[in-house]
Amino acid sequence: MSKIAMPGVSRRVFTIGAGVALAGGVLSGGQAMAQTFPSRPIKICVPFKPGGRTDLVARMLAEKIKENDWLPQPIAIVNADGGAGANAVNMMKRDPADGHTILHWQHQLLIAIAMELGNFSLDQFKSIGYTGGGSPIWAVHEDSPYQTLDELIAYLKDNPRGLVEAVGIGTIPHFVGAMLAQSAGFETRYVTANSGSDRLRLILGGNADIALFAASEYLSQGENLRPLVYFGTERLAQMPDVPTATELGYDVTWANPNWWLAPADTPDEHVAAIGAALEKAIADPEIVQYFEENTLEAYWVNGEDSMADARQTLEQLKSIAATIG
Amino acid sequence: MIDAFHVLFDWHLLMLLVLGTGLGIVIGAIPGLTATMLIALTLPLTFHMEPVAAITLLIGEYVGGISGGLITAILLRMPGTPASIVTTFDGYPMARSGRAERAIALGIMASVAGGLVSWMFLAGMSPALARFALQFGPWEYFTLVLMALVMLAALTQGSLVKGLLAAVLGMAFALPGIDNSVGRARLTFDTDFLLSGFGLLPVLIGAFAISQILRDAAAPPLKKIEVPKGRLPIHMRDLRTHGPNMLRSSLIGTWVGLLPGIGGNIAALVSYTTSKQLSRDPAKFGTGHEPGIVAGETANNAAIGGALIPLITMGIPGSVTEAILIGALTIHQLQPGPLLFQNSPEIAYGIIAAYFLANIVMLVLMWGAVRWIAQLVRIPKAGLLGVILMFCVLGSYAANSSFNDVWVMIGFGLVGLGLEAVRVPLGPFVIGFVLSPIAEEQLRASLMLSDGDWLALFDRPWAILFLILSLATLAWPPMAARLSARRRQI
Repeated sequence: MSKIAMPGVSRRVFTIGAGVALAGGVLSGGQAMAQTFPSRPIKICVPFKPGGRTDLVARMLAEKIKENDWLPQPIAIVNADGGAGANAVNMMKRDPADGHTILHWQHQLLIAIAMELGNFSLDQFKSIGYTGGGSPIWAVHEDSPYQTLDELIAYLKDNPRGLVEAVGIGTIPHFVGAMLAQSAGFETRYVTANSGSDRLRLILGGNADIALFAASEYLSQGENLRPLVYFGTERLAQMPDVPTATELGYDVTWANPNWWLAPADTPDEHVAAIGAALEKAIADPEIVQYFEENTLEAYWVNGEDSMADARQTLEQLKSIAATIG
Repeated sequence: MIDAFHVLFDWHLLMLLVLGTGLGIVIGAIPGLTATMLIALTLPLTFHMEPVAAITLLIGEYVGGISGGLITAILLRMPGTPASIVTTFDGYPMARSGRAERAIALGIMASVAGGLVSWMFLAGMSPALARFALQFGPWEYFTLVLMALVMLAALTQGSLVKGLLAAVLGMAFALPGIDNSVGRARLTFDTDFLLSGFGLLPVLIGAFAISQILRDAAAPPLKKIEVPKGRLPIHMRDLRTHGPNMLRSSLIGTWVGLLPGIGGNIAALVSYTTSKQLSRDPAKFGTGHEPGIVAGETANNAAIGGALIPLITMGIPGSVTEAILIGALTIHQLQPGPLLFQNSPEIAYGIIAAYFLANIVMLVLMWGAVRWIAQLVRIPKAGLLGVILMFCVLGSYAANSSFNDVWVMIGFGLVGLGLEAVRVPLGPFVIGFVLSPIAEEQLRASLMLSDGDWLALFDRPWAILFLILSLATLAWPPMAARLSARRRQI
């Protein structure tokens, strides 16, 4: 067939030509990128201690990608806690910006930027994408007199700073609460509580009136808490009676996505290769089931869209950070 | 409950328990490597295990890790884990005077006693105790920690002024980092390096282990530590002599462990100072006094059982290690909390049974190995210190995967060396460093809660009690001195 197609061309020239064509095809094709990237194991820096949601999601998705060979190199999770995330960011920056060292984070990163902690900005990152996320609730003790968010807000409007809200100042619970307070026009009194368990302790012990919990934290706690509002975009199947803030007329949502980031100079093809593997992993039935069981939503948002969403959220957070002393 | 023990008598689970406890002892004995770190590192391995198997392994590591710390604390004056800080006070002087084996044997006995007493509370009274501890708000936490800080003064050997100076210096080093009460950085001099403050582990390893290594390297040991062979120097009468101390220290340890966020190191400290204050000859503490080892080692193990109580009954972790245990359960879609006993009783009772058995396994392993462990002191110092130094570097680095922590460790090694050179005690220094952030945060939380009103303290009976105890602690030594002076005059 080749003889007919290319009359007069010597066999030797043809062979070389085909070889070059083949090599060219390999170099430009997506398939071939998988052969040149990743060329070393991929390191995922998690800016928290092991065991939390961000760590678990990173480990599960990495495991799924390994299992299916969606990336030809092994993946290692490295925990670098501390410095409002600066330790993990610095760790990523020490390696070349080629996609072999990336970050798995969530929107606490934006809060660190809004609070001017950690000496980094969004311009230093290229977003690989979001792999799902989860939204929190606001809860009171089940013995609390407030049955609905409206009752609670009505009370707070009559008695400014009349109720105690357990928050870690400058953390997600603080910002989500402040967004609602700003939107509805009320004020609470704060008490420091830097972890979900601290907030639970303060609510159950009657030392605080309101606290924010991840939906999964609330559901697994099971008793003693009364959820008043869910900050997701739609009601959660596991708690159909809990209204969203939007339904109640307050334009406040918080999705806290699982966010994958690379250094800003990372080649686009490398980011795309990791993104493609993550997109497959987050669509995997086992992962979707885990997410659903843990009140997380499994979805994929690509690099560009996730970065646009993050920039918009950051503006919102900055306006709130400006109100903090 | 019986079922839970039946489940654990599966040979495969028992093996995991022995493996976990053994690993814990070894890692716990190495300064720089802690139970928390071991659990964090083995956590990924448990992803594919059955939940009961995973929790058995992790609880074994936890108990072994806290217990193993006494070995190097006694033999080398380097606390293997933060919980064994006070064990160095009397353990090392005992080892120096040729009673190393006795000190280790006492430490093991105390550890098991503390573990078993706190297990009884865990098994018998979990829900009631958890609910009681829950009432504690910021005021109670603040006054409790204040009480521990005041006891610091009582802990100081020699000059009270130097002790307080050391404590204040420790507190000063705890200041840089993110101020949790406002969410802003303070005293970081615009560096990322100081943004997370000085980590407990690098400071601790530096102050105790590195300074000791430097000292040992500089000066040849004055006296060869003798390791007697033969029977272990523990007798039935020790149970009588140290029984009351062990019981009291177990109660203190369980109680302090029960409070979320406060761990074995504080439990050991509170129990040590209490024993010292109740003692007829407090001056002997710190010079190789047996009750000192017993008080610390009983309480730090009892704190584990105490911390497991809020964990399994309410899902509230009592310490960092427990937070990782919760993570381990979460992976298996199990959330500790009030529903755990209903939904997965095999896990709840599994934890309780595993904790009991881990204490027994720890006793057997440490008892069996004590003679070989004590041989550590016979290894040529140069080699041993080199290996320990390597682990110190590894441990400091691994906690946050940050080399900065290694520099912090070295820096605090020099600080420790300097302090000792001018005879300022290290204990109050480290304790000031550990306690002051908690005291500050809780005080500020209290004042946020009361809108700045200090008088709100007087609405909290427990807080008042702790405050009175603190004042009494301060007032007691001068009063006692004056009383005895008067008695002598008469």
